[in-house]
Amino acid sequence: MFIGTTLYALINTSILALMAIGFNLTFGISGVANFAYGAIYILAAYCIWGMINLLQLPYLLAVAIAVLGNMVLGALIYRFVLLRIRGQALSEVIATFGIGLAILELFSYFGWVGFEYTLPVFSDRSFIIAGTYIDFQRIAIAGFAAVLIFGLWIFTHHTSVGLAFRGIAQDERTALTFGIDSDRIGALSVSIGAGLAALAALFIIPLGSISPGEGYDVLIKALAVCIIGGLGSTGGVVLASFIVGFAERFTDTYIGSHWTMIVSLAAILIVLTVKPSGLLGKQKELEERI
Amino acid sequence: MLRKNGFICALLIVSCVFMIPAVNCLAADSIVIGVPTSTGFLEGKEALKAVNLAVEEINAEGGVQVGAEKKLFKVESVDIRDAAPGVPVPEALLGLEKIILEKKPVALVVGPFRSEALMAGMDIIAKYKTPLLGTIAMSPASEGKIKKEPEKYKYIFRTCLNAKYLVKYLAGTMAHINKEFGFKKVYIMNQDVAWARKTAEIITKVYFDKAGWEVVGHEAYPTGTSDFSSALMKVRAKGAQVILPIFDMPQSGSLVKQWNSMKVPALLAGFISPLAGPGAWKTFDQKISGAINCNFEMGSAISSAKVPKSKAFADAYAKKWGASIEAGHGISPSYESIYLLAEAIERAGSLDADAIVAELKKTDREGVMGRIKFDEGHQVIYDMDPKTSAVAAVIQWNDDGTRTIVFPKSIADGGIKLPAGLKAAK
Repeated sequence: MFIGTTLYALINTSILALMAIGFNLTFGISGVANFAYGAIYILAAYCIWGMINLLQLPYLLAVAIAVLGNMVLGALIYRFVLLRIRGQALSEVIATFGIGLAILELFSYFGWVGFEYTLPVFSDRSFIIAGTYIDFQRIAIAGFAAVLIFGLWIFTHHTSVGLAFRGIAQDERTALTFGIDSDRIGALSVSIGAGLAALAALFIIPLGSISPGEGYDVLIKALAVCIIGGLGSTGGVVLASFIVGFAERFTDTYIGSHWTMIVSLAAILIVLTVKPSGLLGKQKELEERI
Repeated sequence: MLRKNGFICALLIVSCVFMIPAVNCLAADSIVIGVPTSTGFLEGKEALKAVNLAVEEINAEGGVQVGAEKKLFKVESVDIRDAAPGVPVPEALLGLEKIILEKKPVALVVGPFRSEALMAGMDIIAKYKTPLLGTIAMSPASEGKIKKEPEKYKYIFRTCLNAKYLVKYLAGTMAHINKEFGFKKVYIMNQDVAWARKTAEIITKVYFDKAGWEVVGHEAYPTGTSDFSSALMKVRAKGAQVILPIFDMPQSGSLVKQWNSMKVPALLAGFISPLAGPGAWKTFDQKISGAINCNFEMGSAISSAKVPKSKAFADAYAKKWGASIEAGHGISPSYESIYLLAEAIERAGSLDADAIVAELKKTDREGVMGRIKFDEGHQVIYDMDPKTSAVAAVIQWNDDGTRTIVFPKSIADGGIKLPAGLKAAK
């Protein structure tokens, strides 16, 4: 039971990291808390579903279109909405949340609810690992999360665009003096964040089904992980995903399923009380030291 | 020519101006039925469609006879969102009050999903004296309130199955499983909401404890949970032979998928909303063979030749909306409620709430769910024979993607079969 719980906790960790990584990337670079993130995740899932089931497009083509479409949408949101209110945190939150709300409510309004709205699994095979059955989809999630995090590290440390991302994240004004276009990088960060949301949906949605309500859950989970880890810190996201992922599964197994949510919320509360910037966040570090 | 065109335009404008009161007059003359529900959920969406279907059928026949004149039904709906996780009850109640005050409905149909919202909303309904025919919320606690203060809460009726009757059906299914296969170890998994908690509590007390079953585990999951791996590992470790799930949230589909992928050697028999309708076969990649689901009411995603009106309803619904019913709860009661209301109004000969309520209590009708009568708690009586009461239907998924009604006996088309890989204990 312990090994099984640990394996499923690792998978839960991967799911949480996948859900949060796009949100975190956008915030870490452009400073924009994209509250439309959950809706963009769901939008990608519905788009893939629609292209496969209504337009009969091949799976890979549908996925490519959805990911690219999401990226374009992210860039458009930045160009036509966020650019004008950049730096006004409350306005950014209200604007992006409004966009997210509109997307999710539109799906509800047009009746896109039901159990048939789901995405196909990559393979329906299951494997026995250390005496525990685990399906291929979950193994794929864990593998993809690891590859994605490593890929992001390579991207931000060894590519010119990635280095520009880090430059903006560290000090936007200094980055500007080096000729880095902060608006272009900002648009790119929202765009890539939206693309990552689509990829997360592609891997996670086949475990359940697509519903507008799921968009709010994804946003809340991404926020929780990012707040615990420290907004903008990729290492923090990974660490927080481990904490919440393990806390949820071990609570479920050894304490009781109805305590799962309470333990997660308690983890957020404790971390914020001890370290208001989050585990690896630097936002209020100076104030905390003083 | 210009003058002629100008004259025609003026005539059109004047006609329109005069037509507005005429349209309003038509609207004012119709009988407004309020449908406050969670339209963002399958049960709410399909319940609203069933209501619209019944209204269309009644209006096509000329409407409802109210005293000397015939009036048409008109549906006004509002999404009260109470089924969504995290939506507080007061927010749902605001929607309920809004539709009563703004649309002035003669009666409400469908109503809250969550019994918590229904319980709190009963005072609002009593305050505005607007009859409610509830078709989703299931906790019998509302009946207790009606019995305690019958005059105050006389406006509240329920046409769907309640948790007590659900227990009767689930207990009957478990007894059948025990008799056929000798299974005696059960693991209960329920959603942490009033009706499901109550169902799990009552079935343990009135059936499992008395019939010698061992409840090897019991988990209650917050609405929105989508990972059930821990409990499924416990099912395997503790040797449970039957999993009794009680869920109405969309995420419960994940439980079915995990039950499959983790190859849990236990019979899944209970209620998981995504397993009810014909579309589940495709949704779950044709891997639900052997799973048993209690569809709460005959006509809700299942029909039987033994209840002819359920077939007629299923056909009419599919013809009107281009798709079959997928939700196993609340759909046929929503459809029937409109007919019950129409008959009560016709018998009362007025739209007065007290008169309608008095007639609703006298209901005795052959409907989609069987024979429909209310008890003193204003709950439609469900039992095992559609000739004498309303019925639910327990179905089992077959290897070819069809469903067989396996319980109750009066409408059963076959017995329960063990899925491949599971062996009887006797």
